[in-house]
Amino acid sequence: MKTTMSKNRITNTDIPEENRVISSHAGGNTAETIIGIDDVNFAYNKGTDVLKDVSLDINRGEVTAFIGPSGCGKSTLLRCLNRMNDLILTASITKGSINILGTDIYDPKVDPIELRKHVGMVFQKYNPFPKSIYENVAFGLRIQGIKKASILDEVVERSLTYAGLWDEVKDRLHSSGLGLSGGQQQRLCIARTIAVEPKIILMDEPCSALDPLSTAIIEDLITRLKNEFTIVIVTHNMQQATRVSDRTAYFYLGELIEVGPTTTIFNNPTEKRTEDYISGRFG
Amino acid sequence: MSDSNADTQKGSSDFEKRIFQRKGFTFFGLGLQDVIRYFFGGNASLAIIILILICFFLAKEAAMFFPDHHRGLKAYRSAGQEFVDYIGQEIEQHTRIYSSANIAYFAEVNRTSLEEDAILRAQRAVLANVESLTARSWKELERGLDNLEDAQEDLDDLKESEGALDASALSKLTKDIAQLEAKIVTVRAKLKKEVTVVLGSEKAWDLGGGGIGISSGARAKVLDAVLFEAFPDSKEDHPFIVETKAASRAKKGLEAEKLAGFKDTLKALQSAVRPMKDLHSDLKKIALESRKEINSLETAPARRDAWLAGAESTDDPAEKARMLARAGEVVIAAPDLSALNAPIYSSVDEHRTLLATLQAEVERLHKDLPDGAETESGRKNLKKADHYYGEFVTTVRENRDKIQGWRHDKSLGLMASVGAFLMGKDWVTNSSWHDFYGLLPLFTGSFLISIIALVVAVPFAVSAAVYVNQLANRREQTFIKPAIEFIGAIPSVVLGFFGILVFGETLRMVSQLEYLQWIPGFPMAERLTILNAGLLLAFMAVPTIFTLTEDALNNVPRALAENSLAMGATKLQTVFRVIVPTAISGIIAAVLLGFGRIIGETMVVLLVAGNKIKIPDFTEGLGVIAQPAHTMTGIIAQELGEVDNGSLHWRALFMVGVILFVISLGVNFTAQQILKKLQKI
Repeated sequence: MKTTMSKNRITNTDIPEENRVISSHAGGNTAETIIGIDDVNFAYNKGTDVLKDVSLDINRGEVTAFIGPSGCGKSTLLRCLNRMNDLILTASITKGSINILGTDIYDPKVDPIELRKHVGMVFQKYNPFPKSIYENVAFGLRIQGIKKASILDEVVERSLTYAGLWDEVKDRLHSSGLGLSGGQQQRLCIARTIAVEPKIILMDEPCSALDPLSTAIIEDLITRLKNEFTIVIVTHNMQQATRVSDRTAYFYLGELIEVGPTTTIFNNPTEKRTEDYISGRFG
Repeated sequence: MSDSNADTQKGSSDFEKRIFQRKGFTFFGLGLQDVIRYFFGGNASLAIIILILICFFLAKEAAMFFPDHHRGLKAYRSAGQEFVDYIGQEIEQHTRIYSSANIAYFAEVNRTSLEEDAILRAQRAVLANVESLTARSWKELERGLDNLEDAQEDLDDLKESEGALDASALSKLTKDIAQLEAKIVTVRAKLKKEVTVVLGSEKAWDLGGGGIGISSGARAKVLDAVLFEAFPDSKEDHPFIVETKAASRAKKGLEAEKLAGFKDTLKALQSAVRPMKDLHSDLKKIALESRKEINSLETAPARRDAWLAGAESTDDPAEKARMLARAGEVVIAAPDLSALNAPIYSSVDEHRTLLATLQAEVERLHKDLPDGAETESGRKNLKKADHYYGEFVTTVRENRDKIQGWRHDKSLGLMASVGAFLMGKDWVTNSSWHDFYGLLPLFTGSFLISIIALVVAVPFAVSAAVYVNQLANRREQTFIKPAIEFIGAIPSVVLGFFGILVFGETLRMVSQLEYLQWIPGFPMAERLTILNAGLLLAFMAVPTIFTLTEDALNNVPRALAENSLAMGATKLQTVFRVIVPTAISGIIAAVLLGFGRIIGETMVVLLVAGNKIKIPDFTEGLGVIAQPAHTMTGIIAQELGEVDNGSLHWRALFMVGVILFVISLGVNFTAQQILKKLQKI
């Protein structure tokens, strides 16, 4: 990708510059921190915090899994990362800060629209737009004002190839995205997300609506994606967490109980509550 | 239940026997559930049955139209009316040239005296305003003056009467007169004061929509003149008015002198057609007589039967004999059409010579008409005259073969009646000449009004729906939505009423504004126009389109918007690139349903469209919207009440109804097709 494509797009050549402004949360970790969550409280309605004192660093190029029983706040935290919670008028961060690439994303100067261009999201329920496959993938570029067919063609092909969908759909790019199978639609949504080359991809239970075979394909895709993107994934499926993630964070009742390398969390958790959960004693 | 089963259950208790039986309310062996089910099913099928009956009835009545209409057209031809109307068309085209040129001429003649004419018009308008504003004192003075006149007449009569003078009566009358005169003086003073007050208010200076403003100097003089004349017995004009009138006349005279050639051309143009007109009116009388005979044949059997039936039922032998005699008098014999049409055939040659002269004259005079004009109206009307000359030539050329080859007994094709209905340019009923049932004037009216209504309503309603559904905050939503939906609750007759009394006049006033003159059709001369009706219908269609569009937008899954936003799209990008395209099928359905509402609306167009049964004059271009029109719905509502059951006119109205029905079906069908096509993506 050339810088001529768009002023707004951050290309690979930009990354070294941004490495210099990594937040201090990198701390003792050897990996560089890309998201720093610092002592965050969050409430949908004032007075009832659903996240309590959450502090967490997420490293570049890793897959971080959020696990925990329903209602523990893991999806809420995920949606704080690209400010999707802004859509709920009464919701707000009541304490702490979230830094992405060294910038406090809740700073008044930050435009959530620009933020979301760099922090993509894949939802639980796959929702391709009722447009053609091609237009679905090209959507992100089109809203950035890119019209040139050659660029669009290239990005669409690259993104679909990356998402492992190209061979399946290359003959029917201009038929509806809704005509695909469930797993294909979810991969189309991933292709759509990676087409704009975000830094970070947030995945909110991306496989919970899919059959095991499609799940396997998506998981395989996630492990490939982490070479280029930082991925945060919320999952209910603990096997999935062990399969795809490098680090795992366990949440319970709005609190971050434990975070660490996935192998440690699943084999040798320090907290009793974590052990109870992963061994299936509750949740 | 089979016998063996019954046997095995013999021993069991009553409770066990009934355990699986239906409990509770039964009706003819049906349970409550079934009764309700059949009741609802029955209601649904009843609606369908009624729909089928309506369609059947409509189709039956309408289908009978064509044979009747065909017969009418045949009579029209047999009586020679068709021939006469060919000549009539030529005369009409000529008249159009003449009247356009005539308007141009007067626009030119009046162009230098516009200011004077405006002053005179203003003075008349203000005087009328003042009179109506001071009506009370004005009438009082009028009455006083009348009484005085009567008293004086009485006095004169008394003095002239023979014999001795009645002294007491004389003195009484004299005293009355003195009293009346005194009263008149006070009333006159009062009126004068009132007039002065009224003249200070803006109301008195309301010069009406068409009024051209006058300068402030002229205004002061007009005020003087009005003060001078503002009492009922004013006889003479204020010197300023006299002067203005003279000036206007002189200026007009001067222009007329310059345009003497133009005037002569017009005169020649007018007299050129006279012989043709004479021929036309002679033939018209003959054809009308023939038509009467043909019509009489059609009703003859019925009339004879009526006399016979009357004779049958009466007991009085004399009356019976009289009725039988009358029945015998009824002639049931086809009139000799060849003989009746003989004068028409013999006039063909005369017409040819007359037409040749007329055509030569018109061609020459058309060239003599001035090429340009000083005034806008002059130029426009000369251009029109030019256009009509072209039409005249075409009409003459097209009519040549028709007239030469015309035969009263030429057969009419089966489709002739259908063609005359669908393509007919006239809708004339209750005519002493011939009733024409042509759909075109009504169809164009309906079509133009609907187009205006749609063009106005769709952007308004759709953008309002997008705003309310996607962009407005909750407080705005709770206010705007019910407000727009409330429009739908306004009865259309009330809206029509408003259109006549308020909106029409406002629109006309607005159309006079100088900076709005770029809008086609402005300034408008009339209140009841296509534009007026179209705008009101747009207003009526807004809630329909709004509500359905809003529903369609509401049905777009929220997740789609969330996905779009998560990709970094702005709210507006999300709305226009994801939500509206997803809802587009619903929006199109909303627009088409709005169209259905518009084309089927009756009351507003009946009240507001002006009800002029004529194809609007498309030479005005888009300005056609400033003209009155009639509509398909309006004509049914207006005329169905006054026609005889089963008459041709009645059936023609049914046929118009069928056409409306077909249009609605067509619109729905198209909507379905569009939806199907869009749903594929």
